[in-house]
Amino acid sequence: MTLVLIVPLLLLAAACIVLFGRNGSEYARMKLAAYPVGAAFLGAAATLYVVTTGGPVTIQFYDLSSVASFAIPIGFYVDRLSAVMMTLITGVSVIIYNYSIVYMYQDRHARRYLAMICLTDFVLICMVSSANLMMLFLFWQVLSYLLYVLAHNHAHAGTLAGAFKTFTLLRIADTAFLAGIALAYQLYGTLEFQELFIRAADHPVILSLWPGMDMSGTTAVSLLFFAGAMGKSAQFPIHLWLPGSLFAPTPVHALLHAGIINAGGFLINRLAPLFGQSSTTLHIAFVIGTLTAILGASMMLAQNDIKKTLGFSTIGQMGYMIMECGLGAFALAVFHLIAHGLFKATVFLNCGNVIHKARQEPHFPHVDDHVEEPGLSRLTWLTGFVTTLFIPLLILLITHGVLRIPLLESQGTVIFLFFIWITSSQAILTLTRLRQVASWKVSAAMLMTLLFIVFVYLFAVESFTEFLYPNPVEVASYLRAAGLADWLFDLMIVTATILTVVSWSYLYMTAHGMSLRMPAWIDGLRIRLYLPFMNRLYADEIYAMTGQTIMRLAHQLDKRDRGWSR
Amino acid sequence: MMDTLLIPWVLAGIPLLGALASLPFMPDPERLKWSSVAWAIISLSMVAGFARRIDMPPEGILPLYLLPLAATISNLGQPAHEHSRPSRMLTLVFLGLGLSAVSSRPPVSLVSLTLLLMLIAGLLYRHHSALWPRSWWGIGAYALGALCAAVSAGADAPLSSIASLIACAVLIPLVPFHDGHLAALTRLPGSLPSFIVVLLPILGLHQLGAAMPTVPDSVAWTVSIFALVGASYGALKALAQSRVRLLLAYGSLSFFSILWWFAAASRTATPRSALLVGTVGLATSGLMVAWQVIRTRYGDDVDPQAISGLASGMPQYAVLLSLLALAAMGLPPFGVFAGFMGLLLSAPFPSLAGLFITLLAWLAASWYIMQMVQRLLFGVRRAELRYTDLLHAEFASLLIVVLVLLALGLAPTTLFASKGISSGVIGESFTWNR
Repeated sequence: MTLVLIVPLLLLAAACIVLFGRNGSEYARMKLAAYPVGAAFLGAAATLYVVTTGGPVTIQFYDLSSVASFAIPIGFYVDRLSAVMMTLITGVSVIIYNYSIVYMYQDRHARRYLAMICLTDFVLICMVSSANLMMLFLFWQVLSYLLYVLAHNHAHAGTLAGAFKTFTLLRIADTAFLAGIALAYQLYGTLEFQELFIRAADHPVILSLWPGMDMSGTTAVSLLFFAGAMGKSAQFPIHLWLPGSLFAPTPVHALLHAGIINAGGFLINRLAPLFGQSSTTLHIAFVIGTLTAILGASMMLAQNDIKKTLGFSTIGQMGYMIMECGLGAFALAVFHLIAHGLFKATVFLNCGNVIHKARQEPHFPHVDDHVEEPGLSRLTWLTGFVTTLFIPLLILLITHGVLRIPLLESQGTVIFLFFIWITSSQAILTLTRLRQVASWKVSAAMLMTLLFIVFVYLFAVESFTEFLYPNPVEVASYLRAAGLADWLFDLMIVTATILTVVSWSYLYMTAHGMSLRMPAWIDGLRIRLYLPFMNRLYADEIYAMTGQTIMRLAHQLDKRDRGWSR
Repeated sequence: MMDTLLIPWVLAGIPLLGALASLPFMPDPERLKWSSVAWAIISLSMVAGFARRIDMPPEGILPLYLLPLAATISNLGQPAHEHSRPSRMLTLVFLGLGLSAVSSRPPVSLVSLTLLLMLIAGLLYRHHSALWPRSWWGIGAYALGALCAAVSAGADAPLSSIASLIACAVLIPLVPFHDGHLAALTRLPGSLPSFIVVLLPILGLHQLGAAMPTVPDSVAWTVSIFALVGASYGALKALAQSRVRLLLAYGSLSFFSILWWFAAASRTATPRSALLVGTVGLATSGLMVAWQVIRTRYGDDVDPQAISGLASGMPQYAVLLSLLALAAMGLPPFGVFAGFMGLLLSAPFPSLAGLFITLLAWLAASWYIMQMVQRLLFGVRRAELRYTDLLHAEFASLLIVVLVLLALGLAPTTLFASKGISSGVIGESFTWNR
């Protein structure tokens, strides 16, 4: 029990060590604070072990029977989900903190910055281990403000505008979250997680929003929570804050993209039993996630700045993660956000070096040489074809025919298989760039990739799902709740497959200099789409215009109401 | 052992005695300042000593503590200057009348209230300027408030209920009776605006607890409509302001309107209502003291747009102002959030649209307050400005406000509640359940 409390306290202690002390000892204190940060990681890992072997840990500093009398009931609930998140956050923090000590060396604001990093970690740990919705919201809000502080630089106008945008956009989502809390309490009379899930399941409520429009209580509450999660996870159309905060120091991005942005995914997973009771919310989450994934990835392709490119890549990945939640694959979403977090933290920490290198070396980054390279051999081509199209088809037939898994009735299994196919084929396609290497090596790499991805999905993800949600009935119920109409599901799978195969064929052929007969309108469309995607669909301008319209309205009202403002 | 009936007289008498005892220090602004601060602290300790022995109002005893506390921080944060001498004396006088209005029984409480409102109307008249013709509306509002308070003391129901409700609408600003609030916060001198923004809403809440249950349903419905209009109007007007005092006045109007909406639905004043009213007042008071710090350094008519970069030049001020702003915009873990959340969770909300508007008003605060703070603290440091960080008294004043707001955000509201007030689940009373 003490272990759970020690982890956040160590991070708080680290923040205090950096912040308080005599002048001149700053650097020594910064280095000293790395020890409690490291110890917090060990504590989190130990907590994960304790929780895995002994079950969830609950600590309450309040009386459950009088929860409404406390504005903020402080308590901790650490289950496997919380412990995994704690380990991820503290693990990434150790790396980021140690990197930052060197990166921010001799910077005027290093002390403030490092203390804020530790404080943000403390808030994140408290948030993921909250015992109830109120405490979770408390730290959720503090996190919004800390993001504002971390993302801004006092004297740089662009950074200030970005930080302000970050704060206001996150507040919009936070307001929806708050409305969700109020509604949940009004309907079910509790903010305790487990109690809330039980009451929501046992006492279905129908809300009449206006005559003729009814909505179930769980749908209304989970939709509001989902809107809250959309903010922190940068989902379309509240994604604008993420690219807007790109002026912040590089390690902040590592923390942001590896830890903070996962808050939305965590919230949905924490409230999975509630989301699992509303098919409508899951379907909306699926649509929003898909839209964000497509738009994020498209905008990423059109950016010309390394940080913006990575920012939009994160938006796309978060969309993918929310899409998985919308499909009822909650554990898969957590697996995804862990993998993405570790990957993106590494990339961001490296991108600082790339930027520095580019400033020192005028010929960096190197441009591709235009020497004609030998094309792919028949062996490589054949291996690629077999691994991307033939083997997946074989797996499908074996699963359906030999193992007798009813694929037509189980959308969840199809989703897993579809993700395996997409991921492995994508990875294999990137191997076609290795044209200089002997073809048998490329072929072997392709086969290994396929094996690795199949292993990760079938064993690692399955094991992780079993680890987070040990009850298979619960997992099946989520997948069932997320189930789409059969015709729609089949249509989506077939469309996605055709689009993917066509896109790969197109990319492959253009990469090998083959000429394609394209109708003129397709070429025109490509050019016409490039500009809006490069300009991020003018979403920043729309945001600014909305703000200006509100301000114009306010000023008009102010002018009419003569007297005070003159 | 002192008679229970005497306690309100003692509580009211101490600050009035303090005003009298401070008179000899009038020629010396510095000694007058510390004398008025000392008497406000004595008053606070007397409240702490006697609070549990007076008749507990339905809104609890938190308001009683907040009044001398607000007087202390207002006097402490105000620089010692000859122009601020009358306002210090009046702060003590207002504190005495306010404590009498809260702790005494009718008709003494209503007489104190009437006297207080008349004094404020008189002061506004004294400081009236032709450049601010709208302050006539403020004078009129307080005169109406005084009249209604007097009528409610003498008339029978239902006239007394309506009169009492109008007096409340002047005290806790409610559209269309909000002009008094705007005038008091922008026109009164020295430490008075930062004290009045706490004093009058607390007195209003005390009256509201008695008036609200007696008004007819149609009146309560009208009040809730005015409250929603006020919440949006206050937020929109605050967005358009460049003058800090007006921004704070409209911002607090928006938050007080939220309280009105909940009060109209629950038809009562609870300790949670007191928490919201007290903390909104205190946070606004703190921001007014913080703005006073700027006025002391850069002049009365300073344009906030002409100042920037205070974060690097005045780090202590920047930290405290940021924390106060967070509290004022209703972020956790400060008291405004606790009060707002307490009402959201404990009071039934009659309509989804109403809830939506109140949440929008809450959201808008983070726009206009953050914009103000960002404009002052950040941006390029100006070479032509001389930056002097907080003096001890200013620092103490702002720090006390921040700490109290933090404590009120974390402490259970039952700490200040009267016995027998329970907090139950109200899911059953939810009007749009089916």
